[in-house]
Amino acid sequence: MKNIIEVKNLTKEYRNLKAIDDLSFEVHEGEILGLLGPNGSGKSTTINCILSLLKFSKGSIKILGKEMKPDSYDIKKDLGVIFQEVAVFEELTVYENIDYFCGLYIKDKTTRKKYIKEAIELVGLEEFKKFYPKQLSGGLLRRLNIACGIAHKPKIIFLDEPTVAVDPQSRNSILDGIKKLRDQGATIVYTTHYMEEVEILCDRIIILDKGKVLATGTSDKLKELAKIEEKVTIEINNLQPEQIEKIKQLENVDEVNYNVGNLIITYKKGKNNLGELIEHLKKENIKYNKIYSERPTLNDVFLELTGKELRD
Amino acid sequence: MTVFKTFLKVLNKCKFVIILYTVILLTFGAFNMTTSENSTNFVASKPDVLIINNDENVGVTKNLVEYITNNSNNVDVKNNEDAINDALFYREINYIIYIPQNYRQDILDGKNPEIEIKSTGDYQASYAEMLLSRYINIEVIYAKEIKDEDKLIEKINNTLAEQTEIEITSKLDTDSLSKATFYYNFASYSILAGAIYVICLILSSFNETKIRKRTIISSMNYKKHNRILLISNALLAIALWIFYVIISFIIVGKTMFSIQGVIYIVNSFIFTICALTIAFLIANLVNNKNAINGIVNVIALGSSFLCGAFVPVEWLPASVLKVAHILPTYWYIQTNELMKTIEKFDIESLKPVFINMGVIALFTIIFVIITNIISKRKRKIA
Repeated sequence: MKNIIEVKNLTKEYRNLKAIDDLSFEVHEGEILGLLGPNGSGKSTTINCILSLLKFSKGSIKILGKEMKPDSYDIKKDLGVIFQEVAVFEELTVYENIDYFCGLYIKDKTTRKKYIKEAIELVGLEEFKKFYPKQLSGGLLRRLNIACGIAHKPKIIFLDEPTVAVDPQSRNSILDGIKKLRDQGATIVYTTHYMEEVEILCDRIIILDKGKVLATGTSDKLKELAKIEEKVTIEINNLQPEQIEKIKQLENVDEVNYNVGNLIITYKKGKNNLGELIEHLKKENIKYNKIYSERPTLNDVFLELTGKELRD
Repeated sequence: MTVFKTFLKVLNKCKFVIILYTVILLTFGAFNMTTSENSTNFVASKPDVLIINNDENVGVTKNLVEYITNNSNNVDVKNNEDAINDALFYREINYIIYIPQNYRQDILDGKNPEIEIKSTGDYQASYAEMLLSRYINIEVIYAKEIKDEDKLIEKINNTLAEQTEIEITSKLDTDSLSKATFYYNFASYSILAGAIYVICLILSSFNETKIRKRTIISSMNYKKHNRILLISNALLAIALWIFYVIISFIIVGKTMFSIQGVIYIVNSFIFTICALTIAFLIANLVNNKNAINGIVNVIALGSSFLCGAFVPVEWLPASVLKVAHILPTYWYIQTNELMKTIEKFDIESLKPVFINMGVIALFTIIFVIITNIISKRKRKIA
């Protein structure tokens, strides 16, 4: 698979603090790469370094096989960026805003007109073309922000936490739009601290913490890193300590936690764990309300790798 | 074109500010016109004088009373000290002359008799005192030589009747020049406030960190983008200047077709360029749209008041004018003020004009240097 972006040994230091520490990764053509990490893990700094918005201390960045520099305008024409904060002119309408940012890349008026129309359709802002930003809701503003970043049809799109503080309806619309962009052939680098988004959207994920790559791979591959195979949650009232002890003795059980009527059992490996557990509960005559089984999440992976929750 | 077109769209949102400052300029310009027209008529006023004659009303004494009476408004007040003092207090009288007993005899004897007076101390009283001094000085001088009372009176009256012909050689149309000077002095406020407000508002939109980031990562050369913005702002400032110059032709047309008119125009152009650099400097320092309004008021209103754009320079205290030297508006207004007095235009007479313009140009260069230093430092921090 062709590498579109190659980051090698990237280091960014702020005095004594290493915001990025010897970071290396590649982005393959046509994929959605997720950069996942808690706030302050170095996701945005990495993006800013790749885009030459920040000078870095060490390392090299290649985009489309060429070294990226602040004046690499031949590379920049193929890049699109959507930042976390909405970056639009208050004085311009939705259409005029997209026209301005698209105009920084596309000189031909007819092509631009066509591209603007397509961008507006992609984000679903057809009815709001003549609206000013202050007349738009938060979700619609985010969509405008995206349209401004992708209207010129870039080959590589960077999305830096585009769904922060967005309502669920707009979030779904944004995620659908990103999938469409990938289907149209764009390569996407997506940073977020929402693991659910990464799981449903990204082909490959890089987990970052403290400016370092903790793990890379597909969602399923990463989940293999978690030492648990299965997590079972049961709603039980008045469970006695000796009953908990007996559950701990069951095969493959790694950990048992009982808290406010919820019993969480994590299993290392093995099959038919749920069946055996239900049988045990029957035998011990333990009544329960609800029981369900889960595969490990990326949060479990992060917990396994760092000892802390991703949401911390 | 994209940047320039967007510049115009953002400018369109600021058009009310430009209209506001133009309306202010036109209103004050029109107000000045009406007040100046009234001042073309002059009527000499006479002081209100009360003469209390304790001498016989004959001969030189009678002549003095007649002279003062003819040149002042004779007020009739009861010959009662309290009534007289009240009339003086309430400004019904400006000046009271007490002619002493034996005044006539003392004059004829060649003496200089002492005359008691009471005065309100205002300019009308000063005028009455001037009349009295003039009469007595002439009377005392002639009385030493002329002993015949009739001849003395005749000589005094002839001398007092003499008038000096005054010919005004200046061909300056001072009224029209005053109007033009007032207009261009006031225009300094409109140019400064308009340019700073509009340019800062537009640049604050383009320089907003988020938008700037998006522009930097685009395929448009950022230096080229900034160059287009610079040219667009310069065009805006020049358009503003042309607009105000056209208005000056409408208001004081005749003067504008003279050398003074050319100097007003050149001076205002240099000042407009200076205002443009001030606007760039402020836009580099401040990115908060809400703060811009306050800054415009401090800079434009402050310098206009300190340098004499709103009130005549001659009314300002010396200490204020000393402080005003550090502001470009002061040098701009000095040139406008000079236009009211310069009649012959040669290198020598125009020297102060060139110096004033040179100082404004120097200010412009300083502002450009400071702006460059600040923007370079900002880029380094980013």
